[in-house]
Amino acid sequence: MILYLSTIILLVVISPLLLSFITQIKMFITFKKPISIFQGYRNFSKLMSKETIISEETSAVTRVAPFLILSPLLTVLFLLPPIVKGAYYVSFVDAFTITGLISLSTFFLMLLGLDSASSFGGMGSSREAFISALVEPAMILTVFSVSMMAGNLGIGQAGVNLASSFPQKHMASFLFSAISFFILLIAENGRIPVDNPQTHLEVTMIHEAMILDITGVYLAIVEMASSIKFIIFASLFASLFMPFGLQFSVPIALMIFIAKLLIICIAIALLEASTAKLRLFKVPNLLGISIVFAFLSLITFYVLGA
Amino acid sequence: MFLFDTLSAVFTVLILLGIVPNLFYAFGYLPHIKRKTHYLIHYFGFILSMIGVVISANALVFLFFWELMSLTSWQLILTEPKDKENLFAARFYFFMTHLGFVCLLLFFLIISNGDINQSFSALKVIASHFAYPTLLFFFLIFGLLSKAGAVPLHVWLPYAHPQAPSPVSALMSGVMLKIALYGLFRFLFDILYPWPLQWGVVILIIGAISSLVGVLYALSEHDIKALLANHSIENIGIILIAFGMGMIFDTLHLPLLSAFAFIAALFHIFNHMSFKSLLFMGAGSVLHQTNTKNMEKYGGLIKTMPITAITFLIAAISISALPPSNGFLSEWMIFQSLLSSSHINIMTLKLTIPFAIFALALTGGLAIACFVKAYGITFLGLHRSTNAKHATEVNSLMKTGMILMALVVISLMLLAPIYIHYFSNTLISLGKADVYHKIFPHGIWQMHSVGVNGGVVSPLILLIALLGITFLLIFAYKALHVKERIYKTWACGYRTSSRTQYSSTGFAGPIRRFFTWLYKPQEHLNTEKVKGHNTIFTSSHYAVHVKPLFEVSLYTSLVRLTNITSYWVYRFAHFEQRRYVAIIFNLLLMVLFSYRIFSHQFSWATFAIETVVMIMTIKILVIGDKK
Repeated sequence: MILYLSTIILLVVISPLLLSFITQIKMFITFKKPISIFQGYRNFSKLMSKETIISEETSAVTRVAPFLILSPLLTVLFLLPPIVKGAYYVSFVDAFTITGLISLSTFFLMLLGLDSASSFGGMGSSREAFISALVEPAMILTVFSVSMMAGNLGIGQAGVNLASSFPQKHMASFLFSAISFFILLIAENGRIPVDNPQTHLEVTMIHEAMILDITGVYLAIVEMASSIKFIIFASLFASLFMPFGLQFSVPIALMIFIAKLLIICIAIALLEASTAKLRLFKVPNLLGISIVFAFLSLITFYVLGA
Repeated sequence: MFLFDTLSAVFTVLILLGIVPNLFYAFGYLPHIKRKTHYLIHYFGFILSMIGVVISANALVFLFFWELMSLTSWQLILTEPKDKENLFAARFYFFMTHLGFVCLLLFFLIISNGDINQSFSALKVIASHFAYPTLLFFFLIFGLLSKAGAVPLHVWLPYAHPQAPSPVSALMSGVMLKIALYGLFRFLFDILYPWPLQWGVVILIIGAISSLVGVLYALSEHDIKALLANHSIENIGIILIAFGMGMIFDTLHLPLLSAFAFIAALFHIFNHMSFKSLLFMGAGSVLHQTNTKNMEKYGGLIKTMPITAITFLIAAISISALPPSNGFLSEWMIFQSLLSSSHINIMTLKLTIPFAIFALALTGGLAIACFVKAYGITFLGLHRSTNAKHATEVNSLMKTGMILMALVVISLMLLAPIYIHYFSNTLISLGKADVYHKIFPHGIWQMHSVGVNGGVVSPLILLIALLGITFLLIFAYKALHVKERIYKTWACGYRTSSRTQYSSTGFAGPIRRFFTWLYKPQEHLNTEKVKGHNTIFTSSHYAVHVKPLFEVSLYTSLVRLTNITSYWVYRFAHFEQRRYVAIIFNLLLMVLFSYRIFSHQFSWATFAIETVVMIMTIKILVIGDKK
């Protein structure tokens, strides 16, 4: 139980590090002077000390939405697969609940965007609604096919099963679903081919547009929510699609887990540095690829058993 | 004449749960209605006829109450016959519902050998000896699904439901559609059992298409009640997916999975009743206060109508299937029964069901988008019109109705185990397996799927966790004593006004553009430009109109086809005698020429000559000169 709680605290604590790490690598590749890896914490503490300005057009939704954005994601952290051996994990909660909780968080984020009566908020919400609607089917199909290989729909149990018996027979469908999930990771977290988290340009921004009119502690909470969402997806990818390292002793297993997270970050940073942001109406093509891979994974599993 | 078994009991409970809050609401709504007697007579007649349908024991009584239900609801649509639209909607509804009635009548006439005054159990014997059970099945689903509003028989629904007064829309969408599904349960289980595999697949496909079509058209609507009516189509589709899976599992001898899927269907029937009634009540309150159904004229109503806004939010979360709401639980069950398809041995079916999963998941995603739009545009932001500015909270009777219905929604979430136990007992009495103890093997905290390695969800723990964490966060925020300041919206320095907000048309813009092939939107842009400038204009008006594809392709084109046929029949019947002679002459020529083919003396050269001769004679003699 102590291991369980401490891993959750660890995940919350390192979540801003990962996003700063991605930015650092990107800046390094593009010959800029990299920011500090602790920039996430700096931003957080700066925002925490600011006063909160609330728009006069807003309603009670703005006052509760930031908390409701964060709390489903914090709940998800309790349901993730274990990262060290012997830690307690919630074996029974399945992936629908997790996708549902993430959707709940997005739902309130979109309402928050519409609440301040600014055209930017509406724009962001509209785009986010469009993308997250198309993410949903890919997500569920991918999860379905992974759960078939792991032999369990419960996400925690699936992680453990994959780590103890790697599905070598089903390598093809495993790879297909891994590709599909990686695209989802990018799309759900608003990384570059889908959304650019650094930009504040109205033609491109999605996530930033929704939160343009909040500040102070509220903004800190929402930023924290987005970094936690990233670490949820990254650790799901690490546990389900890189299922090794669980059998070692606690410190080594932790090191391996963090190394896996860093590898994911590096992959994303390289991708971000080498591609341009897609036009909004090209994004469905990317998500379509993800859906097709999820279908392929299911079909190879059923028909070829590979 | 009447029969009150467990299935009737379930649907009576459904009707009562739907009616009690609705009564409060309907009486609160009464001052808004001019023809009060007409309205009240038909309102109560409607309620009684729905109860009559579910407790009738023979076909005659069933058909009587069914017809009474159609007629009273038809008159209720005509409560305020203000404009052409209303008359059109009522006529369309009348026509469609009677088309369904004719099919049901045919179904009963066939299976009763003409004597429809027999009990249902007697009908089963005759039906089992009928040579073409699939014909019976199609009569039945045509009759019932035209009432339930499944694709392609759904086209009347987005017209008819919005035109009725709001309490009636709530009843029609929430309860009446479910009565049609009661018929599905009653006659498929009691009379047409056992089913071939294909029937289940048909229901599954109809369900998958209905759910997608419903939600897509809901997104393009900006009339709030039409939006909700389209969502009814979607939810009927979701219920049919579960029902179809139940039928498929039953024919494949997987009794546990089948009972699980049927429970999911019943649970979603209850859930949809609760949240859809609540949504229609909320929409009715908004409509009552602002006198418009157009969402573009709402905005900012949460400030003046807090009760409506909060109950609407509960219903919106539930219909979007977000955890831990009741809508999520039933949709979770439906997903689990779809995922259990890996137990099926038939490869084609196994490969088809992922498409249903895809449809259901996409529906879920789009429903979230749609309700963010419905809620955000209606209740958040600035007032978009003076009507919205002067809106106030509705009277206490209407508020009571909405709060009661919200309590029904919440009870379906909190008391899910009790409801599921009840549904399970119903299915046992219908001869299905007992799965309650498989769904809740370790008490009420965890809900299991009955498939091997199925998923588990724990709604109560989730709810407690979410509420706990949220309150902890809010508490921490309060403890920080953060300084708050209220100031204008920043919006990158633009001036914010009600005209600069996103509209509902704009919100659905990306989705509408992505699905252009389906919507085929007609866009109208009128700009009055300043002379000599292309970009400077004094006024601009943009309107987009989406014509339902099914209506255009199936119904309007059927009408056009009939018109064209009748035109040509008329033309042929009114030729001059000279032309008839010419046609006979040409036929003779054709017979002579084609003789060669039959006597195997065919050659391309003569064929070419003969063709030319035929064309010339047709042109000269039959068609003649242009006048």
